[in-house]
Amino acid sequence: MGLEQFKNRNVGTQNYRLLDLGETPKTGFGQFKQVAKRTFKGELFVGLWVTLREMINALFRGEMHTVKYPFEKLPISPRYRAIHDMLRLLESGHYRCIGCGLCEKICISNCIAMETRYDENQRKEVSEYTINFGRCIFCGYCAEVCPELAIVHGPRYENASEQRAGFSLFEDMLTPIDKLNLQQEYDGFGAVTPYADENIKKTPLAY
Amino acid sequence: MSKVKTVDNLITITIDGKEYKAKEGEYILNAARANDVFIPAICYLTRCSPTLACRICLVEADGKQVYACNAKVKEGMEVVTQTPNILEERRAIMEVYDVNHPLQCGVCDKSGECELQNYTLELAVDSQSYSIPDTKRETANWSSVLHYDPGLCIVCERCTTVCKDMIGDAAITTVKRGGAELDKSYKDTMPKDAYAMWNKLQKSVIAPSNGTGETNCSDCGECIAVCPVGALVSRDFVYTSNAWDLRRIPAFSAHSSDGFQIYYEVKPTSIDDRSERIYRVTNEWNYVSLDGSARFGYDFENRDVVKDEISFNFAIEAFKKASTVRFNAMITNEEALMLQTLKEKTGMRLYNPEVRAFQKFLGYYSEAAGRSLYSTDTDTIMKKNDFVICVGSALRNDAPGMKYAFNNVQKLNKGAGLYFHPIGDTLIASFGKSVECVTHKAGLEEAALYLILDLFADKSKLPQEVGEYIQGFKRTQKQTIKEKVMKEVVETVTDEETGETKEVKKKVPEMVEKEIEVEQNGLVELLGKESDAFAETFAKMIAKKESFALMVGEDFYYHPKAQNLAKLVALIEKVSDIEVVMAPPKSNALGVALICDLDDEAQGYTIGYNENGDFRLSALGDGDLDMPAMNQQEGTFTNLAKRVVPTNAALPYGGYELNDLIRELIGAPRETIDWTVKLPVAKGFKAVEFDALPNGYTNEGVENRGYLLDIQIEEKPLPSVEKFDEATVMEGEIAYRCNPARQFNDFTDKAHEIFEAFALYASPAKAESLGQKVEVVFANGSIVLDVVADEKMEGDIVKVPDFKSAQNVYELFGDSRYQNVTIRKV
Amino acid sequence: MEATALGIVIKAIIILAIISAIAGFGTYLERKVLAFMQRRLGPMHVGPYGLLQILADGIKLFTKEDIIPQNANRLIFGIAPAITAATAFIALAGVPVFPDFTIPEFIPLLGGTFVPSVAADINIGILFVLGMMAAGLYGPLLAGMAQANKWGIIGAARTAIQFLSYEVVTGLSILAPIMIVGSLSLVDFNNYSSDHAWLMFTQPVAFVLFLIAGFAETNRTPFDLLEHEAEVVSGYATEYSGMRWGMFFIGEYANMITISILAAVVFMGGYNDLFFLPGWLAVLLKISFVFFFMLWVRAAWPHVRPDQLMWLCWKVLMPIAVINVVVTGIVMMV
Repeated sequence: MGLEQFKNRNVGTQNYRLLDLGETPKTGFGQFKQVAKRTFKGELFVGLWVTLREMINALFRGEMHTVKYPFEKLPISPRYRAIHDMLRLLESGHYRCIGCGLCEKICISNCIAMETRYDENQRKEVSEYTINFGRCIFCGYCAEVCPELAIVHGPRYENASEQRAGFSLFEDMLTPIDKLNLQQEYDGFGAVTPYADENIKKTPLAY
Repeated sequence: MSKVKTVDNLITITIDGKEYKAKEGEYILNAARANDVFIPAICYLTRCSPTLACRICLVEADGKQVYACNAKVKEGMEVVTQTPNILEERRAIMEVYDVNHPLQCGVCDKSGECELQNYTLELAVDSQSYSIPDTKRETANWSSVLHYDPGLCIVCERCTTVCKDMIGDAAITTVKRGGAELDKSYKDTMPKDAYAMWNKLQKSVIAPSNGTGETNCSDCGECIAVCPVGALVSRDFVYTSNAWDLRRIPAFSAHSSDGFQIYYEVKPTSIDDRSERIYRVTNEWNYVSLDGSARFGYDFENRDVVKDEISFNFAIEAFKKASTVRFNAMITNEEALMLQTLKEKTGMRLYNPEVRAFQKFLGYYSEAAGRSLYSTDTDTIMKKNDFVICVGSALRNDAPGMKYAFNNVQKLNKGAGLYFHPIGDTLIASFGKSVECVTHKAGLEEAALYLILDLFADKSKLPQEVGEYIQGFKRTQKQTIKEKVMKEVVETVTDEETGETKEVKKKVPEMVEKEIEVEQNGLVELLGKESDAFAETFAKMIAKKESFALMVGEDFYYHPKAQNLAKLVALIEKVSDIEVVMAPPKSNALGVALICDLDDEAQGYTIGYNENGDFRLSALGDGDLDMPAMNQQEGTFTNLAKRVVPTNAALPYGGYELNDLIRELIGAPRETIDWTVKLPVAKGFKAVEFDALPNGYTNEGVENRGYLLDIQIEEKPLPSVEKFDEATVMEGEIAYRCNPARQFNDFTDKAHEIFEAFALYASPAKAESLGQKVEVVFANGSIVLDVVADEKMEGDIVKVPDFKSAQNVYELFGDSRYQNVTIRKV
Repeated sequence: MEATALGIVIKAIIILAIISAIAGFGTYLERKVLAFMQRRLGPMHVGPYGLLQILADGIKLFTKEDIIPQNANRLIFGIAPAITAATAFIALAGVPVFPDFTIPEFIPLLGGTFVPSVAADINIGILFVLGMMAAGLYGPLLAGMAQANKWGIIGAARTAIQFLSYEVVTGLSILAPIMIVGSLSLVDFNNYSSDHAWLMFTQPVAFVLFLIAGFAETNRTPFDLLEHEAEVVSGYATEYSGMRWGMFFIGEYANMITISILAAVVFMGGYNDLFFLPGWLAVLLKISFVFFFMLWVRAAWPHVRPDQLMWLCWKVLMPIAVINVVVTGIVMMV
């Protein structure tokens, strides 16, 4: 793209409509006429009526817009990126995280830290996992890179606290074991695409 | 014989249409690597023999498919690295490697530096054509450090190869896996090499070669280093960190005098403790092989030290009061120079029993030989020599680099070896068929050198009286013997696979009866060998050998007749083709020997630097003033290869350094490394800034670390040597000052992955007779030790370690490494 | 019944206590009404339906740090809010709010005391009220000039021109009713409408002009140029905080109530009984409506530019007012 095209490019479709504002009066008398016209035309009362109407709607027809936020909450999009959730396997209840460290690596604000160890069952165990929410920018890369859909962004967006840099530990984010049945499969950032199966070449198991 | 490259003749070869220079006799793969041409290869290790396990290095040389790791370059050779057939083979090989390989890269320790990952991506394996039922393979811990997950193993045999060809332990080998048979149809449908490779892979798995499930080896961990996948991992490191999280810091391993190049890999300790710690040590395994102390003796840092001004002031006062500084070989060149400067300015005595004997020996040697330093090093030996002799060194324990070289010469150069030592060692005997171990009485080292003179010296060059002296040991006898004569027969053989007929030369033994005059060598008999048998074996060993090396060890430095030994060594070097390498006893002994003017005795108030003393500077954290440990220091180190190599600080250190003390006392530059440029040029050092020192290897495998010491050579007449003194021969109960492999000093002892105990080591038979715990009584004291049986030791001499400076073992042994002792059961 | 000193004191206390409370309550009402008109809830959390919000605001205002800028004239800076509040309440002295009443006998001490409709039924009541309100311009003017702040200066300048200009319109617009009633006492205005039609029907032009001028006098949208946030931060009140600012606030709301009462008394029949409604309830409803109208206007209409404001005053409203007076005079003579 040349510079000229770049300058003259149209962003979107122009869809403007000119309002008929009439002539701007040039003379004093013209202005007076305009004032008189507008005054007696009742435009002012239209404004008064509109506000009064909304008040009546709000008070008597239940069209109040206000959401009493801490007591009432609006549903949020599944793609919303709030405080992370650590999911569990639905069958066994074991946490999904395998400790691969990809989230730690991809994190652009460098706020994820984890410790892993060799456990008694010869598995890699995540012994500690924290996200520094004072630094997290909620970009969602961790959820996207996670090969196990273990770390996802949950709907918990109220993260105000006295100590912003406070750590959030693995246990805080993990689905409580007694609420396993309530655990939602994540369909937001980094979730499996609807056609994922079609794009995978399967390993032959012909034996 | 052709393997030995005396001169690097450069020839021209063509790879993929471009001309390159290559060394004659080089493998195609190495030639390509030296010229930055990429040929995939998994199983090949540069300094080991080709395994031909992976077959992925297939190339076309002059129109014929060959394995690049196994075919040598020829003048004008045209190599093509990619043909449709080769690509098909490679792709099939990688697919086969991926069959049943667990998809657990997420948890695998190797992920990110895994060659299987790399080659799978490189060859774009995005689908799988083959399948076979998997075999259940259980993970196992082979030793205190080795962890093996056979599920991940691709049986490239690099671990077994390096263990056999380089380390010499041959502690692991391939065994039957018991896997399913390959489907017959694959034989026709698959590329040929891939099928052959799979056939072998499917049948084998790695296991300890002694069949017990436990490797009884030196725990060097080199198998961990060479493993291309996550199958072999240090037990301590399993699942603790991803490769990409670790920051690599090039350094040297400071425990043995080899000064191997290593990388400390660091990362924060934990989530709570963000200070870094060393997680593991890695190395350029194609070019350098580490011993256990280098790989596992890394966490000896002096942690959490702050500048303690009170202690510092006490230290200054102590220095002003002191008349001696006692230190050991675990010190950088720079710090040694600081102490030497201190000595020059204040007349402080420098006392270093570890190095003093070596320094003297080196002095005698250069006096006699007219050269400031010995002539060869371990790397050169591996590249060049085909006959190695080792005298006066407990090869397995003293100098791992020399042990590797000794072994590597046997394996790769079709070499031979002579090992003279009072303590028999079954491992060294197993290095090769042509290794002859001479287990002589302690004190007969001179006789051994005379025998070497007899065997290798150019008799015409030998001074007359020496020649006559040697001749005096010989007498002739007439004997009728049956002799085996090898006869060459030409046979025609048909190759089963290809159907080609070949003429093959075979050697067939034949028995001939003969009467001969046999010369009986009294020296050989003195050293405990049957003269005839030795002569016969030696004749076989020496056949077709043309490059010889002599390894001299610590026993000589602590020998009562050290001066004569040094002269003999010099004489051997002068009158024969033998080149000499000496093993500096520990760490930076060579550097200290060159830089410092050491005194024989400590006097008065003594400052101990990592040693006992009235005031202790210590990097171990237990002294009166903390010092940085070697992994917290920058500096240089003079290794066995006469090379001044740099090291870097892997971990931060917050306290005072020796430089701060020296600055306070006599003035010093700002940083320790500012001393590097001041190292004494007269002793062979170069005035090079620390930051200008390289620390790495080139693709060709050329060591590009620091610089080599200059060696001054002057013409000297042949040294006059004394006859050997039979009075030095020791009888009775003998203790030998020798550390177990991997242990060198307090620092290796501090490292948590090194488990070798401070105990009395004895051959199994001797250990049984001694019981559990003994008191070893010396002339000037005694020490109580547990008894540990060392399966590879033979004979009655016991080893007493010295790695704990607090135990003051040097004092007990005095000037000799061997002492008559009384051993009492406790 | 004669007005006693005690009765007048009681009236004064009623005015001060109730009106200043109502002035605060006015802010609550304003926020609520504006919120409803935007379909919001407004204050909800302090007390039932947020009724105690004013209390919370008061606590906040009283406990806030009292900041006096470094280069301000400290004396004038301190006096200015008091002028605004004081003039607003003094003006109320001449305004009859409720009908006369006698405190019932059963109440101890004060029982039987006659409380007049107006604290000071002076014969120039309407002039007094308008005069006091006009004097209130010193509050914002001095405040703006004393605070050493450019926004304050601009606010002060706007105060001067706006208040002075619209004083003319207020005076002229109310002249015609005065001519008809023939008295300056507000009680007479009230009495007049007990047997005549409301003046807003006989003098509609004067009523509209009075309302417009009242908006300007009380500094309400669409004429809130003195402290219009988008243009001059907070105008004359830029540097004020805490209770000083609160006094401006109370003054403004007291003025709004004054104007509401004036409109109710002069033009809308005062505190006479209306149909079945008792007088005090009727007047309360009237006042409330005018007050509500002021809030309603704020919700509905944008504010004008300063030049439009002046143009409107001198070229439109003032001539109309003069014509109205002349026409009224002619009609009365004829």
